[in-house]
Amino acid sequence: MIKLTPEEEQTLSGRYGILRQKALENIVSYAEVLGARELCKVTKATVFCGRHEYLDACGKDDFDEVFSRAQLGSDETVKFDSLYPSCHVQSCVGPCEDKKNREFRQSDALFTVNRHYLDRAKEAGVTIVGTCSPYLNGWIPIPGEHFVTTESGMTILGNSLWGACCNSDGIEAAFWSAICGRTPLWGKHTREGRRGNVRVRVDASPKSPVDWDIMGKTIGDRLPVNAVPVITVDFSQVSFNNLRQFVTAIAVSSNCEMCHIPGVTYDARSEAEAFAGKIPSYSIDISVDDMNRTYEKICTPKSGKVGLVSLGCPHYDIYQIKKAVDYLKGRKVAPGVNFQIWTTYPIKAVAEANGYLDAIREAGGDIYTGTCPTTIGRVFLEQFEGLVFDSVKQSGSVRSSVSAPNYIGDMERCLDAAVSGVWKEDYRWKMS
Amino acid sequence: MENVVIKGRGAIPGKASGHALVCPSSITGWGGIDPVSGVIKEYDNVNKGESIKDRILVMPGSKGSNGWSCYFSVTRTSGAAPRGFLFTNVDSSCAVAAVCLKIPTVVDFPSSSDPCLVIENGDYVEMDGGTGEVTITKNPS
Repeated sequence: MIKLTPEEEQTLSGRYGILRQKALENIVSYAEVLGARELCKVTKATVFCGRHEYLDACGKDDFDEVFSRAQLGSDETVKFDSLYPSCHVQSCVGPCEDKKNREFRQSDALFTVNRHYLDRAKEAGVTIVGTCSPYLNGWIPIPGEHFVTTESGMTILGNSLWGACCNSDGIEAAFWSAICGRTPLWGKHTREGRRGNVRVRVDASPKSPVDWDIMGKTIGDRLPVNAVPVITVDFSQVSFNNLRQFVTAIAVSSNCEMCHIPGVTYDARSEAEAFAGKIPSYSIDISVDDMNRTYEKICTPKSGKVGLVSLGCPHYDIYQIKKAVDYLKGRKVAPGVNFQIWTTYPIKAVAEANGYLDAIREAGGDIYTGTCPTTIGRVFLEQFEGLVFDSVKQSGSVRSSVSAPNYIGDMERCLDAAVSGVWKEDYRWKMS
Repeated sequence: MENVVIKGRGAIPGKASGHALVCPSSITGWGGIDPVSGVIKEYDNVNKGESIKDRILVMPGSKGSNGWSCYFSVTRTSGAAPRGFLFTNVDSSCAVAAVCLKIPTVVDFPSSSDPCLVIENGDYVEMDGGTGEVTITKNPS
């Protein structure tokens, strides 16, 4: 039985309208499945807006009908027209680039219906930002703040680095919380759920972003369900971008929502504090050889022709774009190579103001916003002979959609591949 | 034929039965299944090519992207939904999937009767999402 506040009781009775009522009914059912006893108030949310490919399963396009069935789980059509007043809500990536669809082989009809879906979300109160990295737009939860998000990288980053509180929930539950302002007080929203329960020791000194990315996947692949790892490794080369690459790779290869890195992340200054006096149930040792084996499993062997080079998963910040421009030094990408950098609207505007956008375009590429290759889907990806990414997350998601050769490397090696038009053996990553 | 009974916590009430599909490493979020056909697409899943449709789907919990539950929940309208869920341990993503699909669900099994270890693909499973009782008929013809 869930303990409810008077406001929650009134919401369930329909006082604040059927949309908020349905959303809270779902949150209460969700809390009961988890075994939670009460709810907590949510003040930040990112939600997954737009006419995404998975919604094809609904067999129709009418916004309210699709929203009701897919997001509310309701056969009754309920209009999505409001959010909880004190919850700040932004959109995650959509299925289409902000302004272009034909170069991504998406129909004008899809682009139009997607725009309608985004407009309807905007009318309900969602700020459309179209990014997996809402913190680049100033959407940053503070320690102890309860938030929901549809982005796994944001979940683990918010819990770990910023000490805020979030479960992985899902796309539907993020909408429910944004509408009714509540989520179950369970898991990472509680002190007990944040306690470390797995010890991870890594015998390596990661430096480059791909070092951190591969280390994250190597750890994530070995974690048991519901792990909160406490990780010890040489963190002397840690930076925000290395850290977000690292924790995102952990999240997408497990169901991990939070990790402790004593001295780096928010909740614990020491291993003992992270485990809160309890003995971890599980220990994992990771070696350089383990990381090299992970890479060999996920990067296609040998050389190959390249069709797509895509950077920016998670979406790049301005310094990563500058670094790409500096590395290119006026070189141009090979004919036939589609070279892309993905970021947020404001970062793209800053890139334009600083001449980086022109530099990327002069090189034969472009900077895009609003989505990413895997979210656009197979319709775009299936045309390419070889795919190059600087991200374990993007590479892995794409691999489930298309079987083309799929290469992973640091930004610099990806840019070399874009310029040469070929992924070469000596671009392959190896942990030293 | 051998019958095995295990018990977890009933999470979504109702009775369901069918052949088991066991994914001991779960199914990844975002693109792990085709929600129209229910076929598993995840490139390194042991059950790649199998469909979740009308199966008792057995997993340790969720895995990967927060875009996990949505691929299961829209199978409610596409007709490719499983008949029941058995999760070794509940987590937030699989709880949302269960609420959206409204199919009988049992979670939080004791470690001595982990359904991912006790049940094998093709076993016939009868489950009660109210009591949490799961009866497994091994090697049915």
